[in-house]
Amino acid sequence: MHIPDGFLDPYTAIATYAMSLILIGYTIKRSKAIDEIKFARVVTLSVFIFVAQMIAWPIPGGTSLHLVGGALAGILLGPWLGILAMTIVLVVQCLVFHDGGITALGANLLNMAIVAVSIGYVTYRVILKVLGSNSKTRFIAGLVAGWISLTLAGVMTGLEIGVSGYILKRIGYSIAISLPVMAIWHAGLGVIEGCITGSILSYVGFKDPKIIEAERGGKNE
Amino acid sequence: MSRKQLYLLIILIAISPIFGVYLANSVGYHEPLDIVAEKLELNELEIDWTPLKDYIVPGLPDWLGYIVTGFLGVGIIIFIGHIAKIFIWRKK
Repeated sequence: MHIPDGFLDPYTAIATYAMSLILIGYTIKRSKAIDEIKFARVVTLSVFIFVAQMIAWPIPGGTSLHLVGGALAGILLGPWLGILAMTIVLVVQCLVFHDGGITALGANLLNMAIVAVSIGYVTYRVILKVLGSNSKTRFIAGLVAGWISLTLAGVMTGLEIGVSGYILKRIGYSIAISLPVMAIWHAGLGVIEGCITGSILSYVGFKDPKIIEAERGGKNE
Repeated sequence: MSRKQLYLLIILIAISPIFGVYLANSVGYHEPLDIVAEKLELNELEIDWTPLKDYIVPGLPDWLGYIVTGFLGVGIIIFIGHIAKIFIWRKK
């Protein structure tokens, strides 16, 4: 889902950079109030998400999938620290390994670090509020949160590419293609993201539910 | 990071080329974004700023480069965390 250079027009690239920088700047400001233990958890989760994203599973039908981890980061760390963890991962991937374009870094941060994390966190909280928290409901809430977060991140990517096509007036470059393709594929692949997210949360919740920040109300993030 | 987490991390990095290199090459790594690019005839703009593009280390076989970049990425993230820690808590 990492958008490379050349897919976005300058206006969309600048707008997404501006939005991401403002939100991440606010996140960093808030993060200064956390303790060292919580910060160590941010770094640890960033490391695991970075490695998990390197493990790509081929899917029958001609595509591949890897965990994005936005919902997982938001649920385990709370929205602000989750955004920070995903930002670290995406910036290292882009600057060191050219995974995603430098001109599209703002858009990639917006999609995977901000939208995926926030939506995943909110969805998990809402579902657990309705169902209550136990291993089964944690799995269900994690599954739905992971699925929705990946699908919406895909929709955002499709929108950005589609809007760029409209602005640049490229032939055959249209939101009518980019949006449904990204939405449909990610809605399908999101089920696997959701299953992985739900399984991890169910396991962590069984071991030590206090670790899951989304169940503590995100008061300490 | 606990010792268990460290071992898990090393195992994941060690097996990552099976998925990221061998299986990806055998089926042709293809994300939904590649499908969009194909349909819309989009071409990636070639701007190079790192020799480690796509987790490949020049001069090393792909599988080994993938492992090396895995450890390098982990090291860089831990280093960033360490610098941030010094910056935030030394100030306090």
